[in-house]
Amino acid sequence: MKAIIIDDERLARLELRKLLQEFPEIEVIDEAVNAEEAISKIETAQPDLIFLDIQMPGKTGFDMLAELDKTPHVIFTTAHHEFALKAFEVNALDYLMKPVEPKRLADAIQKLQLSESKEVRTETEYTNNSILTENDQVFVKDGERCWFVKLSDIRLFESVGNYAKVFFGTNKPLILKSLNALEERLDEKTFFRANRKHIVNLRMIEKIEPYFNGGLLLDLKGGEKIEVSRRQTVKFKEMMSL
Amino acid sequence: MVNFNFAGIFIATMSKNKLYWILQVGGWGLVGLVMLLFAHIYDVQIRTDVLLKRITIVFFAGIITTHALRAVIKWSGWMLLPVEKALPRLLVAVLFTSVLFSVLILGSIEIFNLSTESKQQISFFQKVLGSTIDNGLFIFPWLMIYYFYHYYNKSRRQQLDTLKLESLVKELELKTIKAHINPHFIFNSLNSIRALVDENPQRARKAVTELSNILRSSMQTEKMETVPLEKELHIIKDYLALENMRFEDRLKVVYEIDEDTLDQPVPPMMLQTLVENAIKHGISKQINGGVIKVVSDFKDNYHELVVQNTGQLNGSVNTEGFGLSSTTNRLNLLYGDKARFEIKQINGSLVEARVLIPVEIH
Repeated sequence: MKAIIIDDERLARLELRKLLQEFPEIEVIDEAVNAEEAISKIETAQPDLIFLDIQMPGKTGFDMLAELDKTPHVIFTTAHHEFALKAFEVNALDYLMKPVEPKRLADAIQKLQLSESKEVRTETEYTNNSILTENDQVFVKDGERCWFVKLSDIRLFESVGNYAKVFFGTNKPLILKSLNALEERLDEKTFFRANRKHIVNLRMIEKIEPYFNGGLLLDLKGGEKIEVSRRQTVKFKEMMSL
Repeated sequence: MVNFNFAGIFIATMSKNKLYWILQVGGWGLVGLVMLLFAHIYDVQIRTDVLLKRITIVFFAGIITTHALRAVIKWSGWMLLPVEKALPRLLVAVLFTSVLFSVLILGSIEIFNLSTESKQQISFFQKVLGSTIDNGLFIFPWLMIYYFYHYYNKSRRQQLDTLKLESLVKELELKTIKAHINPHFIFNSLNSIRALVDENPQRARKAVTELSNILRSSMQTEKMETVPLEKELHIIKDYLALENMRFEDRLKVVYEIDEDTLDQPVPPMMLQTLVENAIKHGISKQINGGVIKVVSDFKDNYHELVVQNTGQLNGSVNTEGFGLSSTTNRLNLLYGDKARFEIKQINGSLVEARVLIPVEIH
């Protein structure tokens, strides 16, 4: 696994590197000292894992994650846990307290490998890096609340001005991305542009009904009803009929 | 009178205004019922419709006059006075209300021609005088109920306020102790020390000493009102040395200390709090780091302490932060309004915290 360490303190990076020597499966390919540097390094090197300090000058670790199109696996490192956990709705993140206990680090890495092996990825998924697959996760930050969301858990994207509302579970936070930009990055086999304002996850459709003007009405698992425009209905039918 | 017990039961569940009207209507309704009962028992010679009309008059006159009495009590703020001052005023008010009550009843009886006497032998004035004494027997208990209900409520509220205040003081004390040494700082330092153990064992050993010094003095100084500046400066130097180990070339420290000020008494850990704030809100947020400058000198009759740091003052976060409000509080406790504390942006990239402590002239 390729990893990048992001921390503004040289000694903290050095210490983590030293601890990681015990884990040959983790290869530290680079380091970054702030969010800006980290974003460019993550986008070019595409690491599988980042170790991320939350409090950094300029942008915090959370701000940085929200700017990434897709996030690698993240293990947070922090000296103060209140700050890290306050922001999280779901406690499903891994964080290490500095100074890091080697046992905790081993647990976190083991947990990561387990979840990695569960995600059966086919070779084809790697062919085009700019397209996000169902297994990719995105980091969503809405004010004080943050989530890691797998694309497969997202039912619907709705355009709200320059923002997009992301529907998953019972949440619908806003992200600063246009629907057109999203459409370009999403896998069209799973995510379908139903009309000007909506992109739906095809696996989240519960029922399809005919609608006015030869359009369709999709009932999603969360109860949302989305109209498919006439033009898109033709495309939708083509896709569905083999 | 009976209603007083109900009051206690309903307080919690009902809005005060609703309770007031229920008691008003209930109380005066009860008076009407008693009148009806008496007329029945003593077999008073009176026509039923006249009796009912008179009872109605008493009912409404009672509500109107006591409602006016309540308005006067509210407006005058008598409830806020101590009992011995409020009682004479209330007794006068009872008298006035009783007169008003009688005038209303007797006036209505005249107007609606409900008088029971065949001939008018007594003058209206005399009748008012007589019935005022009677009616006082209604108004006085009314006022007592009203007054003691509010008195009881007020004292309960005061008890609650005292409790709240006590818990707030405790919380503040606790926060002060915690605020002195930030756990974030301790763990980050320990993390750096661990990395240094291999890289620079000499520096690591020194860092352990510095950290111990800070922890020790933060525990000791809790008990002292003031310490000599020199002692406080030792802590600050240890503290900044540790921060320097973390931030490396991102932190530069400059001291400008007038040696004559070293003996001056200062509140313990106050300058330390300001320096810690300068790191937390200033240096640690700058990608390229910055400078911290600590100044101590005399200015007129004041001992001036200044902490400057690279950074931007971000109004709401900084001025309401605990470090700053605790600084103001501690100065207030020790020197009253003679000491001063301010924090401001002095140019585009520098924030300055300044404390002025009056110098005692011997």
